[in-house]
Amino acid sequence: MFGLIGHLTSLTHAQRVADKLGYPEYADSDLEFWCMAPPQVVDEITVTSITGQKIHGQYVESCFLPEMLAGGRVKAACRKILNAMALAQRRGLSITALGGFSSIIFENFRLDSLRRVRNIDLEVQRFTTGNTHTAYIICQQLQLAAQRYVMDLAAATVAVVGASGDIGSAICQWLAAHTQLGKLLLVARDRQRLEELQANLKQGEICSVEDALPRADFIVWVASMNQGMVLNPQVLRDPCVIIDGGYPKNIASSLQRQGVYVIDGGMVEHSLDIEWNIMQFLNVANPARQLFACFAESMLLEFEGLHTNFSWGRNLITLEKLDLIGQLSRKHGFRPLMPEA
Amino acid sequence: APDYSSTVYRQAYSRINGIVIEGEQEANDNYLKLAEMLPEAADELRKLAKMELRHMKGFQSCGKNLQVEPDMEFARAFFSPLHNNFQKAAAAGDLVTCFVIQSLIIECFAIAAYNIYIPVADDFARKITEGVVKDEYLHLNFGERWLGEHFPEVKAQIEVANAQNLPLVWQMLQQVDADVENIHMDREAIVEDFMIAYGEALANIGFSTREVMRLSAQGLRTA
Ligand SMILES: NC(=O)C1=CN([C@@H]2O[C@H](COP(=O)(O)OP(=O)(O)OC[C@H]3O[C@@H](n4cnc5c(N)ncnc54)[C@H](OP(=O)(O)O)[C@@H]3O)[C@@H](O)[C@H]2O)C=CC1
Ligand SMILES: [Fe+2]
Ligand SMILES: [Fe+2]
Repeated sequence: MFGLIGHLTSLTHAQRVADKLGYPEYADSDLEFWCMAPPQVVDEITVTSITGQKIHGQYVESCFLPEMLAGGRVKAACRKILNAMALAQRRGLSITALGGFSSIIFENFRLDSLRRVRNIDLEVQRFTTGNTHTAYIICQQLQLAAQRYVMDLAAATVAVVGASGDIGSAICQWLAAHTQLGKLLLVARDRQRLEELQANLKQGEICSVEDALPRADFIVWVASMNQGMVLNPQVLRDPCVIIDGGYPKNIASSLQRQGVYVIDGGMVEHSLDIEWNIMQFLNVANPARQLFACFAESMLLEFEGLHTNFSWGRNLITLEKLDLIGQLSRKHGFRPLMPEA
Repeated sequence: APDYSSTVYRQAYSRINGIVIEGEQEANDNYLKLAEMLPEAADELRKLAKMELRHMKGFQSCGKNLQVEPDMEFARAFFSPLHNNFQKAAAAGDLVTCFVIQSLIIECFAIAAYNIYIPVADDFARKITEGVVKDEYLHLNFGERWLGEHFPEVKAQIEVANAQNLPLVWQMLQQVDADVENIHMDREAIVEDFMIAYGEALANIGFSTREVMRLSAQGLRTA
């Protein structure tokens, strides 16, 4: 059995979902209540590979909300993640993806040092961040977008916002190894981490968001922001492709301007219908087939019997691992999600 | 770590320690009562009662170790609503309500409070509390098993007992808000831990996720 640990993107989103699922106690309650709410297994999942293999899993809602971080409720946020992990382990799930902010909280607040949760010692090999698969899929989406919109990567400027992060640094590595880029812009707040990345890559220009946006033909947005940013489309180039890999989304509203193409970053589409209910609440166009690449990673590991923390820690993703997860992704019938032609 | 010798800590500890001692005493009495009501399980229930008495003595020694006098008068008043409900149910031969109050609510409350207390306890109390909390999981398991074996017949009564008694727990917790904070425990974390243990128990008994979410949050919002 595999597991997925998920959360919703905001308090209003969470209340709406709770209402639809028929949990009035949760639907009518404010952040205070969600800070005390325990994790729940809210869905059973069956996935069939194109190889014919079938696997089963469970969806754990952690009850974490991004507002907890924005409002300084760090203790509550950490509890949500640890308790959700303890629940997954108690259910005997062999490999569980830490979706969205779960892995970021685990890293940022060093939860690794708090592995004992009540009467359970967390076994980290049962968990994966799913970031390797996410990075791989975003790289594919970038290449597919270049083909679709007839833009030459060798002449293009690509900005990676969140470049020093776990996903961002893996994407930069992959791009440096497998593509010829016109220019690579490395964007984040902490300059030192960007310099280390630049030294490893032996390329890339360190740049602020404000300077990067007007220069970029492609913007890969993989920053960990607990709220989306409002973007003025007028500053962007024409054409400009934005791959928004954030969860919650890094861009606050839909960008409607001629020549700006926004792609749902880090999302995959499965070739066969997945049996589950939860995805219909996560704002995707085809919930039976579309899902986050990090969730798909735990499915891939389960298909392969690779019960190990495949993606773990920060900035440890290798080209070999990207390559392997890519092969498995194709083998089992996943492909990068692209907008309708 | 808190300053165990400060006046603020000791005053809060006097009430919290009193509650814990009284809680263990109540648990002892309740299991002895349950042993009378359920002769076929009397031996096991008397064993549980004995464990509770041992817990009580352990916590008394924690108070002595910090040279704090437990406020037993406060503690008895604190438990009286739950105590009265148990007595009423026992007098009426309502075994299900008695199990809900003692084996689910009181045990889960103990588990949650002890789990959250352990990281901020003094060394002496930590060792004792760690031992106690292991026992409480066993006690929870006993009630869970019995209610689970009779689930179809007792389901409705569990819901009634839950509605009558769970809101009392939130009110009790609210009364000691400041004390809890002064001994560096986190009320939010206690509630969450309670809902985890209680929800898990309800699920093991046979309730669906939807029912568990409703039952374990009952009365929390208005508290
Ligand atoms: N689609 C999917 O399946 C998945 C999506 N995600 C999402 O991907 C995103 C990145 O995840 P991950 O790589 O694990 O996160 P990390 O925390 O490892 O990295 C975040 C990066 O963003 C940068 N950053 C944070 N805030 C800002 C800001 N305001 N402006 C510019 N840069 C910023 C950080 O650097 P600095 O702090 O120096 O600014 C860092 O480079 C998250 O939104 C996450 O939820 C994650 C997993 C799976
Ligand atoms: Fe006890
Ligand atoms: Fe007990």
